Amino acid sequence: MSCSVRLDGVTLDYFIYSVKAQSLRNAVFNLAVGGNLYKSQGDVTVVRALENVSLYLEEGDRLALVGHNGSGKTSLLKVIAGIYEPQKGLVEIKGKLTSMIAHGAGLDSEASGLQNIRKLGAMRMIPKKVVESRIDSIVEFSELGDFVRLPVKTFSSGMMARLMFACATEFEADIIVLDEWLGAGDAAFGQKAARRMEGFVDKAQMVILGTHNFPLVERVCNKVIELAAGRAVFAGSTADWMAWRNR
Amino acid sequence: MDSLQAAFRDLIDGVRLAPLWFTLGWEQTAARFRRTVLGPFWLSANLLSLAFALAFVMGGLSGGSHSNFPSIIAGVLCWGITGAYLGDASNTFISAGDLMNTMRLPLTFHVLLMMYKNVINFLAQLIALWIVLFLLKMGAVPAISLLLGLPIVIINGVFLSMIIAMPATRFRDVQQTVTVSVQILFFLTPVFWTPAQMQGKRAEIMLTLNPFAHLLELIRQPILGRAPDLIHWEWGIGLMFVLGAIAVTMLTFYRKRVVFWL
Repeated sequence: MSCSVRLDGVTLDYFIYSVKAQSLRNAVFNLAVGGNLYKSQGDVTVVRALENVSLYLEEGDRLALVGHNGSGKTSLLKVIAGIYEPQKGLVEIKGKLTSMIAHGAGLDSEASGLQNIRKLGAMRMIPKKVVESRIDSIVEFSELGDFVRLPVKTFSSGMMARLMFACATEFEADIIVLDEWLGAGDAAFGQKAARRMEGFVDKAQMVILGTHNFPLVERVCNKVIELAAGRAVFAGSTADWMAWRNR
Repeated sequence: MDSLQAAFRDLIDGVRLAPLWFTLGWEQTAARFRRTVLGPFWLSANLLSLAFALAFVMGGLSGGSHSNFPSIIAGVLCWGITGAYLGDASNTFISAGDLMNTMRLPLTFHVLLMMYKNVINFLAQLIALWIVLFLLKMGAVPAISLLLGLPIVIINGVFLSMIIAMPATRFRDVQQTVTVSVQILFFLTPVFWTPAQMQGKRAEIMLTLNPFAHLLELIRQPILGRAPDLIHWEWGIGLMFVLGAIAVTMLTFYRKRVVFWL
């Protein structure tokens, strides 16, 4: 199955509602006085998270999103994952997409690791039989051993990252969207994860990764977008990006 | 036009995800009672204790007669999915916030999941109710019209939840308003008193013009083995179309924004 991701001129605004703006009384007052009285006290702050971002990815592409904290990496990942619909621009995703954006997202902290593997599988509409057949390889890849029988609330963040990465990559998907939490794993696991992502080229899978780990970018990704204040200040191949950084 | 299409697609996709909210609904219901001794029987305990307390008070007021007990206990049970669920409903998107920020799911999915959990509660309690009524020799064979009345009540609930959940995410006062309103509606609707006890102008307001009263009777009457009056069907079906139209309109205008209101 062919997959592709196309974004064209995506602009995303966040509306931040202060406590005041979330109260009905003020909305009613705004109606009564023509919207001036309370507005002057700052009710809704608009933050432009992404401005005119375009990209095109096809089978086997591994894209890294880099940039300072707050530069728009996670916002862009959420747009690609379909969580946010941008106010302007076009988003076109072809293929089955799985996203693991927030740390520990979708995990039930009271349930055991095994139960969580089943739950993550169910959330992705993967048939029960397939999930059961993958459990062994997920446990093996994550190296959690017997800990997988304990509630997830007892896991360290590295262990959670291992479990989530194993699930995200073991269940079949054409497009995998991952955010920075991957860095929570230790060095050995980082190597292992990088090796697995390199293998995606053969399976024609696509990965989109938000990260600060430059060695990982160099090793795994073939395309890079560097964001600054919501704009793409660089978009191109990894080799060009390294030259651009060192200019 | 695109937004309207997207609103309908949201509804259809939400229904199509039935296997997922089925699984999650069961799981979350089970998780609620994790590490409790009574487990899901807490639901039955909850219903029985409230119904017995109300029957005790009402019995005292009407001079020691307990003939109203089946009507009261069935009323309390049915109120769960005709009124009391609105507290949950206003919280739908706020409590699903983590999931909404993790995965792309239609808004309808979250509403259906919330409603499904309320229906599970209802069905679990319904079984307890029939057992208790038969033990007390007050039971009756349920009328077949329950199979039509229950879906009408549930569909109304889904639309009304959607209508309330959206503004409740944006304006946090709405949730508090709903909590207060549900309490008041509990008294205004014939849940623990009978329509025959109400007279005059008040009866018209609380019985004829109260949509919650019609929805309640649509399921309470068949549970007690009687067929609901025609007027309850008219209100139930009419409301379904009115609320459906409002829900689709709101989805058309605000569907995209809800995730930013969290």
